[in-house]
Amino acid sequence: MDSATYPIAGGDFEHGGSASKRLKEMLKRLGADPKAVRRTMIAAYEAEMNVVIHALKGVMKVAVDPEQVEVAVIDEGPGIADIELAMKEGYSTAPAAARALGFGAGMGLPNIRHNSDLFSIQSEVGQGTRVRFSILLRRAAAMARAANSLVIRPERCRQCRVCLHACPTGALRVRGGRPALLDHLCIDCTACIDTCMMDALDMPGRGDIPAVGEESTLVLPNAFLAQFGPTVTAYEVVDALRGLGFGDIRLMEGWQASLRDAVLRHARDEARAKPVLSPVCPAVVNLIQVRFPSLLDHVAPFVTPFEAAREELTAAHAVFAGVCPAQHTILRAPNVLTRVDVVAPMVLRNAVLPRVRAGKTVTRDTEGRRPESGMVQVSGIQHVMSVLDQVENGLMYDYTVLELYACDQGCFGSPVWTEDAFIARQRYERAREVGRLLPYDDLFLRRGGAVRRTTPLEARRGLRLDDDMAVAIRKLSELDRLARQLPGHNCGMCGAPTCSALAEDAVLGRGCLDECMFLGEARSELAVHEEDSR
Amino acid sequence: MKAGELAERIGAEILTRRRDDDVDIGRVYAGDRMSDLLREVSEGTLLVTNLGTDGLVRLVDLMEAPGICLVSGAGASEALLAAAEEHGAVVMVSPGSLFETCGRLYEELEGGGRRNG
Repeated sequence: MDSATYPIAGGDFEHGGSASKRLKEMLKRLGADPKAVRRTMIAAYEAEMNVVIHALKGVMKVAVDPEQVEVAVIDEGPGIADIELAMKEGYSTAPAAARALGFGAGMGLPNIRHNSDLFSIQSEVGQGTRVRFSILLRRAAAMARAANSLVIRPERCRQCRVCLHACPTGALRVRGGRPALLDHLCIDCTACIDTCMMDALDMPGRGDIPAVGEESTLVLPNAFLAQFGPTVTAYEVVDALRGLGFGDIRLMEGWQASLRDAVLRHARDEARAKPVLSPVCPAVVNLIQVRFPSLLDHVAPFVTPFEAAREELTAAHAVFAGVCPAQHTILRAPNVLTRVDVVAPMVLRNAVLPRVRAGKTVTRDTEGRRPESGMVQVSGIQHVMSVLDQVENGLMYDYTVLELYACDQGCFGSPVWTEDAFIARQRYERAREVGRLLPYDDLFLRRGGAVRRTTPLEARRGLRLDDDMAVAIRKLSELDRLARQLPGHNCGMCGAPTCSALAEDAVLGRGCLDECMFLGEARSELAVHEEDSR
Repeated sequence: MKAGELAERIGAEILTRRRDDDVDIGRVYAGDRMSDLLREVSEGTLLVTNLGTDGLVRLVDLMEAPGICLVSGAGASEALLAAAEEHGAVVMVSPGSLFETCGRLYEELEGGGRRNG
């Protein structure tokens, strides 16, 4: 990557444009596409002249990589009181002297926006203004090359093939025993990573925490604060992070809230295609581009909060804890103002953990800890399983009551319905709100009773191998022995969900190891191995 | 149409040394606002304008405007001519006003050159 900083002198109309000219020379030397150079020049010159016209002094910072040029023009000037007004075509506060020279037509900022692929402006009255934009240098190439950040470790793949069915766009293949990605279909989501038990599919950014200092800003996913169990407060987490040396910590919430406001404002216009889709998740934006291009008009014209954070941060050093491939892809773009580092969220968590635990004994004993809040609803069988696991392990004592549903969104998620569970639930809630306002309609108000159970719940046989514990122990060791003979692909071809389930079926007389199509192979390998070791 | 031929037909004088050979004019844009001119520059576009030297130099230097037509007999600065020579642009000056010059250009390029034809 090539980068440079050019000074701009306020009021110097004769030399206004010299920074842009130096940028142009740089782009030409690098062999940038003439159309991209032209767009860059319009944007750069307009931004530079804004400094010449309005400010005392400023700088143009540029960074170029083969994909794009990124420019930031920062001035020490009067600042802009109303950015939305300044962005309006025809609005200008330029003095007569500038107007006489053909400037001040109120087209500068709109011109920059029209000619760039990403544009942001920040201004503080009395401090100055910062205009930042980037232009794709090889537009066609950039569009064709679907950027994604999925990391594939073929050597770890055990060919369970679960990922193939998890991918929403069918972008994965397992050929020759190795997972491969069809780049143009991948939307950078986490569906395949989530299913891969072997970490053959993964995200980049594992590793150490970069060296940080006062000038470092950490951009934190909201969820990070909730990764430390029931008793550690958000304050303690932030305190521990400061202890690691970060000068400033910003929560994604800030950008998400701003986007939500902006999208709601945008949606007030009657003319918008409804429903307006908020570009909150970059993977969903990718999904719409790949699978639902007819809905692109519905997507509100903003970048995702994560991109906004990357665009807007002015700290010398920014550290992002990317939680999905899509965020990692966003971070790959060059950044002129900020040195960007990426840290794996779990690496950060493991660094915070000992600090927040200091002074707290980690114990499963809930004594002395009062539950903090009332009831929580959990739905979807996988979520319910994981929550029950935590309850069993004594790790959840901050909720007094749990309401657990096997289906997503409770009975709204039953397969008998045709409406999406989330939407149906929202509609029901809305109907109930309205129903409560109608005193003559007691549909929602009539109560039934809570009926007390008379016979206690008893454990069902479930996973027990035998009612007699001694027999069960024998069966368990037999099960382990058989499971070791199986290849561990958990492919399901035998009709049992996992290798260990097939072993159990064999032990309990429900099935037979011969059902395994790999076993001949595995046995002969085992035989060879045993012969070798003799 | 070659810039040299076009200049001759509208009664303009070419100020750059390079007379006509390389620059082909197919389109005219007239205006005095920098933002408009920046946007309208393209290969084959002659810019007709009252704009002062500094802006014109940038249009040639940064945007590589291929042709500039000054109006009302205005003189061209050294800086503009130097930039034009460097980038192979043509600078011409028309004796008529912006309005009159545009009228003549329109006739030549769109109206089939009725006056001279």
